[in-house]
Amino acid sequence: MDGSKPTLILDHVNKSFGDFKAVSDLSLQVRPGHVFGLIGPNGAGKTTTIRMIVNITVPDSGRIELLGQSMTTAMQDRIGYLPEERGLYKRMKVGEQLRFFAELKNLTGAEADTRIDRWLTKLQLQDWKDKRTKDLSKGMQQKVQFITSVIHEPDLLILDEPFSGLDPVNVDLMKETILELKGSNKTIILSTHQMEIAEKLCDDVCMIHRSRKVFDGRLRDIRRSFSLNAVAVRFEGLDRFPDDPEVANVREVGEEFEVLLNPGANPQGLLKRLVDANVVINKFELVEPSLHDIFVQKVREAA
Amino acid sequence: MNKLFAVIKREYVQRVRTRFFVIATILGPILMAAFTVVPGMLMMVRTGGPTRIAVVDQTDNTYAALASELEGRAGAPVKSATPFVPTEPAVGPGASQEQMKQAGRMTRNNLSLQQVTIAGRPLADVKKELEARIQARDIDGYVVLPPNLLKGESPEYRARNNADLFTKETIQSAIGKVVRNQRLEAAGIRQEDIERASASVELRSVTETGQESQGEFGFVLSFGMGMWIYMSVLLYGQLVLGAVIEEKETRIAEILFSSMRSFPLMMGKLIGVSLVALTQMSIWALTFMGLSVWAAAAAGSFRLPHIAPIIFVYVLAFFLMGYFIYSTVYAVVGSMVTTTQEGGQLAMPIVLLLVAGFFLSFNIIRNPNSPVAFWASMFPFFAPITMLVRIVTETPPLWQILLSLVIGFATATGLIWLASRIYRVGMLMYGKKASIPEVIRWVRQA
Repeated sequence: MDGSKPTLILDHVNKSFGDFKAVSDLSLQVRPGHVFGLIGPNGAGKTTTIRMIVNITVPDSGRIELLGQSMTTAMQDRIGYLPEERGLYKRMKVGEQLRFFAELKNLTGAEADTRIDRWLTKLQLQDWKDKRTKDLSKGMQQKVQFITSVIHEPDLLILDEPFSGLDPVNVDLMKETILELKGSNKTIILSTHQMEIAEKLCDDVCMIHRSRKVFDGRLRDIRRSFSLNAVAVRFEGLDRFPDDPEVANVREVGEEFEVLLNPGANPQGLLKRLVDANVVINKFELVEPSLHDIFVQKVREAA
Repeated sequence: MNKLFAVIKREYVQRVRTRFFVIATILGPILMAAFTVVPGMLMMVRTGGPTRIAVVDQTDNTYAALASELEGRAGAPVKSATPFVPTEPAVGPGASQEQMKQAGRMTRNNLSLQQVTIAGRPLADVKKELEARIQARDIDGYVVLPPNLLKGESPEYRARNNADLFTKETIQSAIGKVVRNQRLEAAGIRQEDIERASASVELRSVTETGQESQGEFGFVLSFGMGMWIYMSVLLYGQLVLGAVIEEKETRIAEILFSSMRSFPLMMGKLIGVSLVALTQMSIWALTFMGLSVWAAAAAGSFRLPHIAPIIFVYVLAFFLMGYFIYSTVYAVVGSMVTTTQEGGQLAMPIVLLLVAGFFLSFNIIRNPNSPVAFWASMFPFFAPITMLVRIVTETPPLWQILLSLVIGFATATGLIWLASRIYRVGMLMYGKKASIPEVIRWVRQA
């Protein structure tokens, strides 16, 4: 950690529903001013974890601490929450709807109106302010819902699948907005299945599977530690990849070879042998596994 | 507190602005009038023509009196020289002015009589003939007045529609009166003496201060109160139910719960909907009062029954209490189910407790200070009706009234608390109806 106190701490948190264990002994820390990815397959316990953070349900045991304080109703105003299942009053006008949700976060008066207008303009919804919510497209409703989660400028913003149902233009707009919020020193928890997006946005990730934490930490460190010991090689002078004692598997992808080394083998040795074999090497790159690969591998391991 | 207010405001403003509210506010009184006045009018107005009754008078001198009693006709029996020739007026395109007038007179009781003379034939034959006329729909029934009618022999009544109790009742009392008068006359009492002796006595009930008592008012009030609470709970309970279910099923509840506790949320919804109800009722009440003042002014006389002003305060307090208790039942139910139809069915048995309270009030009017009356007016589901009846009939000590109110509003609050717990856990379960054991577990774990 970088010295500053974590925004959110979960300490050995447990939650069961009857016989079903939803979250087991989960501990994690969320750094301020960073994007924290909460990933895991369906039913892993992400939503239950989030609901405990926003104080909808209470853990059976363990401690949740936000900004150095234990969770209370008053602390709820410091959190913004975009649930996975969206819910807006269908017959309410967009502007009134936003006003209501702002009031629920203790934001009232002219300040609320100013911020509503600012956000509507920012997300290109200004013309829809006096329209009924049910007349908006799904993507537009989603943006309205997003505004409800940020209108009170929370310290911690929790976004559950914020990109589902958005077209590519709006996905980019949403990404940009999230990064801007991060830039203004807000802490963001992002729960998503879309690994490519998580990979681009998150500084830290935590993966949960079957109610338990599988791994967590900085994304960079995780990818390094999960190195599958693979290299991508492109060369001239040979038609096929030469036989090598250290190589477990070779896959030809276009002009490149994806080479998987035996466990414990040193990629430098392979490079040396290739140079000795008098081939012209254009590319020799250690491949870091994508978050997607790690995710899939972990889920398979657990199966 | 701000959040509670935000919920109340949203609930109120959104609902009052709907087209449904405007239409219901305008149509409400019209429908209510239709429901109360129209059945009454339907009872009064008979469909079809008058009931035609043939009378076989074996006493020879009763028909005229009976006809005058039933049809308001003075004078001699209708001449019917030949048997079985109906003397009923022929009302039709060719009917004369005189016949039309006669028809009007004869149908005052919606009965038209015609005398059938026996002309020395056996009674059985006459009856057979009359039976045939009933089958032919020529007449609707007949009465046979036996020769010893005055000595207590019962007349016979045969009608196609034996279920028409009104007609039977009318004929019976008319014969009774005629026979009584004839017996008295036979005993040598003059007609005007009979009339003077029959003048009815009215018992005027007064209170200890000699004012006109409100005993009947108690009955009217309990009935009116029961109807009022019942109608408004049915109307607005549905709104509460719908509001609770909407948020649960559209998952808005998840955001709401991430911003506030469920108890003020439930409380806010209920208060918001209640204010809508009160707004609507105030509009109705003001319109009604305005109209009655105007009507009274137009009629030139205006007299209100004497009612102590404090009664109005009690009525309002107990109405609100009843309304809150029963609409929280809808809130509890709404937190358990997924559709309003389901909710309506589940809430119905509890709302029927209101009817039980109404029936109890019959007993309480007679014994306003009995133990039954006391306990019934403390039980919160009955109290809105039963306590009011006691207040109007024989006002109980103030502490009892206040205790009843405290119990009632505490019950309502407890139910809201219960609803908010069930709601909070139920929201986390996706679109499924809860069983009772599940609900009990939810309440414990929430």
